[in-house]
Amino acid sequence: MKRLLPESELARDERFVRSRIEDRVFDPRGPKVAERNTGPAKMATDRPSAGERSRSLMHGIFVGEIQALEGAGRTCYDFDDDQAPFALKLDMARQCWDESRHCEISVKLGDHMGTEIGEYTESTFLYQAACNPDPVLRLTGVNRALEGLAIDVFNTMKEFGESSGDPILTFCEDWMLADEVTHVKMGSDWLRRLTEKDPDRRERALEFQRTVDKLFSLGGFRGESDENPVQLARRFRELAGFTNEESDELAVIAKEAQAEAEAMADAALAASD
Amino acid sequence: MSTARAAFAPWDRRELPGLFSVEESARRVGHYKWAEMRLFEALGGWVATVPELDVKLVLGRHTYHHAWHAELWHKRLPELREMNPDRLTRPPNDEFVAFVDAVREPEAAELTIEKLVGVYRVLIPRFIAAYTFHLNATSTITDAPTIRSLRFALQDEYDDWRDGEMLLQSLIDSPETVERAARRQAELETLVVRAGGIAGPGSLGDGTDPGPAGAASGDQTA
Repeated sequence: MKRLLPESELARDERFVRSRIEDRVFDPRGPKVAERNTGPAKMATDRPSAGERSRSLMHGIFVGEIQALEGAGRTCYDFDDDQAPFALKLDMARQCWDESRHCEISVKLGDHMGTEIGEYTESTFLYQAACNPDPVLRLTGVNRALEGLAIDVFNTMKEFGESSGDPILTFCEDWMLADEVTHVKMGSDWLRRLTEKDPDRRERALEFQRTVDKLFSLGGFRGESDENPVQLARRFRELAGFTNEESDELAVIAKEAQAEAEAMADAALAASD
Repeated sequence: MSTARAAFAPWDRRELPGLFSVEESARRVGHYKWAEMRLFEALGGWVATVPELDVKLVLGRHTYHHAWHAELWHKRLPELREMNPDRLTRPPNDEFVAFVDAVREPEAAELTIEKLVGVYRVLIPRFIAAYTFHLNATSTITDAPTIRSLRFALQDEYDDWRDGEMLLQSLIDSPETVERAARRQAELETLVVRAGGIAGPGSLGDGTDPGPAGAASGDQTA
């Protein structure tokens, strides 16, 4: 088996439908659909689209968990012992088990919420971040940026479960949230340990994290206003080792990403008139 | 009333003698760690390459089981006087490396049967055998920490073997897949026999084992 498996070779059964995130975000129909929307983008139980949005997000969580599992598994395999310490690989193996459980939970929650595998498409940008050939950059991109996003998503879903009176959703999201805090902490710990004597490498890793964070804030997906479907979970991020300054920086990145998306949407709308 | 009692309760039949010296137990533990590492790496790597969702999730779970076994052995080595665990973390011989390389070789998405046969019909049964021999042969008193870890690991090995065997039985559903599984098993059995097992020749004892380490004679009944 070769090392560094490209995302194009991820193995899936015939139910899965692959799509590119760019195609979805820059779909020319998007601005017109957005024009019809009234009210905040944040998932709220009084919105007619809340059920559909929560099912779509649940499916997104499910495929994200598969890719997180695959990414952690590849980190166990892709590196020699001198590139990735034994203890780091043990952490990644533990993460494999956690992500495997999250896939199981997500499949069952999908059934519970009325969706099924393949109802929505899968974009593999999450796994792409797990393909970085430098283990430090990979850990930073995956465990701090992506698993950090998972904290935000699970907390948003947990709150949605509470507000919609769904104790099963609330219960499951809370358990997964606990695991994600652990994974982010692993990323923060390994970043510090592996770059202790190499500030340049640390800066490259943090820059990679900022890039991934911006990608996952694309189109205003994440932020702190009612216009963001997924809310930044500052309290849980703090438990995972993020400083207030880091959360502030992420909020700025999210705002920039949202402003860029709005400018692009306006331009697309003007061009179509 | 006296509280003086024998150190060993009447039902506690553990005995001092064992076949392994400290060095021999450490040598075997080092081989176990090396093999468990190669196994958990491969299981983790394969997760992305198998399309069957149930197999993917089982491999993810088992990746951790074998990593944890490697960690148990890693921690045991310094307790067996090997202060540099990496020194003994090695394969027993080149033939075993060739065997493990062959187990880890399949990559394509359509080779799930070949991947699972290598792990669940060849490698894990060899772990069960080597661990069981160690458990039965080493001193139940002096090497008790190793025995405790062996028991934890063995329980996982049995459970994982059962999971893998059931997945295989559900995938082997035609004469062609029967032939594929059998051929793959035969190829790998040939290699592992050449290597002598997880700890090399003598993995299961070879019938010429010395008496208990430190014993003056081979008479175990005295």
